[in-house]
Amino acid sequence: MRYVSPIVISEIICLTSAILLVWKDRKVFWKVITCYIAIALGTELYAIYLASKHIHNLWLFNIFLIFESSTILYGLYCCLKEYTSPKSIFFIGSGVVYLTYFIFFFTHSFTDANTLTISVMSVFFTLYCLYYYYLLLKDENFINIKTHPEFWWVTGVLFYYFGSTMSNIFDGLFTIKIIGVATLRYCIYVLLNLILYSLWVYSFICRMKQRKLHS
Amino acid sequence: MQNETTKIALLVAVSTLVFLMMPVFLILYIRSYNRHKKNHFLEKQHMQQKFESEMLQTRIEVQDQTMQSIATELHDNVGQLLSLTTLTLNSINLNDGEKAKNKIDNSLTLVSNSIKELRELAKLLHGEQLVENGIGHAIDQEINWLNKAGTYQLKVNNQLVDLQITSPDKDLIILRLLQEIINNIIKHAQAKYIQIDSYLDNGALHLKVSEDGIGFDPDMIKAKKSGMGLNSIYKRIEMINGKLALNSVPGEGTSISIEIPYP
Repeated sequence: MRYVSPIVISEIICLTSAILLVWKDRKVFWKVITCYIAIALGTELYAIYLASKHIHNLWLFNIFLIFESSTILYGLYCCLKEYTSPKSIFFIGSGVVYLTYFIFFFTHSFTDANTLTISVMSVFFTLYCLYYYYLLLKDENFINIKTHPEFWWVTGVLFYYFGSTMSNIFDGLFTIKIIGVATLRYCIYVLLNLILYSLWVYSFICRMKQRKLHS
Repeated sequence: MQNETTKIALLVAVSTLVFLMMPVFLILYIRSYNRHKKNHFLEKQHMQQKFESEMLQTRIEVQDQTMQSIATELHDNVGQLLSLTTLTLNSINLNDGEKAKNKIDNSLTLVSNSIKELRELAKLLHGEQLVENGIGHAIDQEINWLNKAGTYQLKVNNQLVDLQITSPDKDLIILRLLQEIINNIIKHAQAKYIQIDSYLDNGALHLKVSEDGIGFDPDMIKAKKSGMGLNSIYKRIEMINGKLALNSVPGEGTSISIEIPYP
């Protein structure tokens, strides 16, 4: 029962939807996203297991951070590639994120939460999402955003990483508990995860419909 | 200390909500902008369709005009020549050798005239090719047919014959405009003298047609919105971003001046 948390439930639903709706898609992008959700779920479950055994689990999230940053960077690169050649800006973005990641571990222990990388990563992801919207609006061709899978995928990313900005900045400064034993930070992350995975599930539905329409 | 932590927590909670609201407004803005873009896109598509349908209509009208010219020519000219040939050949008396020879010679002249006329008609049948050869040639051909009727005194200054640039869609519309103007003159103007000038100047093609007919009151015709194909002339000129200046005074003739960005 301890393994059942809102984040785990949303990840299971999202993974199931991804496998059913987009795993067979010819675009590698959707397969990578499905694998990422599976890794996220595995990490979450293993972290809960470690916590239940009173073992430190932050090192696990630090490893997961590599997968997270790589996948989101790849996803945003794929979305932006449709409108422009984003190689240079992604080269800079990924360089800064990985550099921050490794510098943090040269100066801190691997069991410390790498909040610096998370903050830097969030800033870059937010900027890429806004750039995507800008290119989308600037583009001459009209797209129906209501059913555009990449748009909703990017929107999910924007909500999650932009919404978590304040929590990242003030991480560790507040430990107020609301709703029983859950901290405010945890509640914010539950909300952000719900938004992220709901939008991703919607984007999978859009992609499936799009694929059916073209086949 | 606990109080401060609560304040920070409250600040984080409120800020997070604000931070979450911002993407919502951003999406609403994108949605609204996209809707405008969609309307613009559909409007553009509609205009393109309208243009294509108008082009098709113009093409049909040019073909129709060509067919009418051919029918008139066959009936009034070639038909008459061949009838006369038949009559001449029928009246030959083989016993009167000299007269028969003269009649056969006459018949031969009539037949060769008919062949000449038919060749001219064949040229006209390639109406589409006329425009392909350039607007200058198409205007020349149109004027030749008008000249052939012999009803009008013509003064022509066509500087477009050696034009190196073309614009197929505009050429077709310009040819149709000239046909329509000439039709109007033939049907309504009662003119004796027609002057046609065409030239290219500063990236614009100019076509001027003046005549000394009975003229009309342009305001009255515009108000009526009915007559003389003027509406379709205006519509087509507007379609290719052209300008039209119409001057007419009852009893003093009419002049139409067209300016079209070219190519």
